[in-house]
Amino acid sequence: MSLTPRIGGEVRHGPHVGLDLVRLFGAGLAAMLLQTTVSPHIGVLGAHPDFVLIIVVCVALLRGAEVGAVFGFVVGGLVSVLLFEPAGIGAFVMVTIGYLSGRYAETVDLSPGLLPVIAVLAASLLGGAMYALAQFLLERQVPTYYVATRVLVPMAVLNTLLAAPVYLVVHSLFGGEHHARVLEA
Amino acid sequence: MGRRRALRRRLVAVILLLLSVALLTLYFREPSDGPVHHAQERALRLVAPLQDGTARVIKPFRDSWNWVADLFDAQSQNGDLRAEVERLRQQAARELALERENDELRGLMKVRDDPIFPRDVTLVNARVIARSPTAWYSTVTVNVGTDDGVDLYDAVVNGQGLVGRVSSLSPNAAQVTLLTDQDSYVDSSILPGGAQGLLAGSVTGDISLQYVDKSQRVERGQVVVTSGRTASIYVKDIPIGTVSEVAQQDVELYQSVSVVPYVDFHTLDLVMVVTR
Repeated sequence: MSLTPRIGGEVRHGPHVGLDLVRLFGAGLAAMLLQTTVSPHIGVLGAHPDFVLIIVVCVALLRGAEVGAVFGFVVGGLVSVLLFEPAGIGAFVMVTIGYLSGRYAETVDLSPGLLPVIAVLAASLLGGAMYALAQFLLERQVPTYYVATRVLVPMAVLNTLLAAPVYLVVHSLFGGEHHARVLEA
Repeated sequence: MGRRRALRRRLVAVILLLLSVALLTLYFREPSDGPVHHAQERALRLVAPLQDGTARVIKPFRDSWNWVADLFDAQSQNGDLRAEVERLRQQAARELALERENDELRGLMKVRDDPIFPRDVTLVNARVIARSPTAWYSTVTVNVGTDDGVDLYDAVVNGQGLVGRVSSLSPNAAQVTLLTDQDSYVDSSILPGGAQGLLAGSVTGDISLQYVDKSQRVERGQVVVTSGRTASIYVKDIPIGTVSEVAQQDVELYQSVSVVPYVDFHTLDLVMVVTR
């Protein structure tokens, strides 16, 4: 698996693999702690931001589909473990999010600076819908209107608002030539 | 070269997705002391101190955020509260009279109050170090576990009333399923009157009493407590909340009773685990 940063399918000369692993570990740990201790206290209409999803999308945008999928699997799985939630759901959703975000970054022109924000918005809606489907399959309550208006939309809005600052932090952590397009926008 | 790369990329994604499904299947099929649950305990043992530290560090910021949120709430609730004050003033006058009457009766009959908790229980202080931010699970993680004498299904309370029950354990942390969780069921009584019902949570965070017999008279404002019946995991008379709405339909066998909990689940910080 390549850990070199890639944009629009173009492989760039990246930092040392070991250093990149340390950065991924740092980003993963930050995601887990933010998700379990900070996120529950930031709420709008009862929904909370999903820091894991935002960070997985940002990492996938900066490092590609493979790294995004593996990072999503590890972090999504660990957050489920830490919250005593059924292991596997978070991992499944985050693998999908990481892979698709990475593929998106590898295949489209990334010059528009709002890409991370749009990617996070799309990923939030997809991730939320996947979680809801998983709950439905586990025979738990999934009232459609409530889920749409009090879970999916507020969470997507919160995630989108947080996307730009989180992307800037993740970007500065991982470095690379693809500097903060969000600011340019 | 590009084709091989694309193939490998897809292969990685498919393998990880299959692993996730396998993990999920194993989680639900294995017993509670199976390898996945054990891995959860071990991981939590490592990360719980970090979560504890982070929770303490962010507490001032969290309190500030809550303060600002409360300020907005207070403004919008001002009108309602004025009416509430008037109602409570009248109620307080009635209660003072009742309290005096109660003291007199107690003296006459020499009836001792039942203690809320039996003598063979111990209260273990705990701090909330993490909570599920999703709507799907109303759970919190507290910083005590088997090392502190906490056991599975122990009740968790705070100064306001019943918080929930211990649903998973590690040596230094425990998951508490809150009353509002859709998997939470508490055998409860309504006082006065003693009507019995099963208090259930929901995905919306509302709680309601189910299976309350229609012949039982239930009114708004009555108090809901744990019943503490023989098979119940909760000790008797832990306060839960007050009845906010009672609905009866001819086609239903039971009446539907909505309950407002005493505990503010959004600001949970310090709790106590009732160990037996």
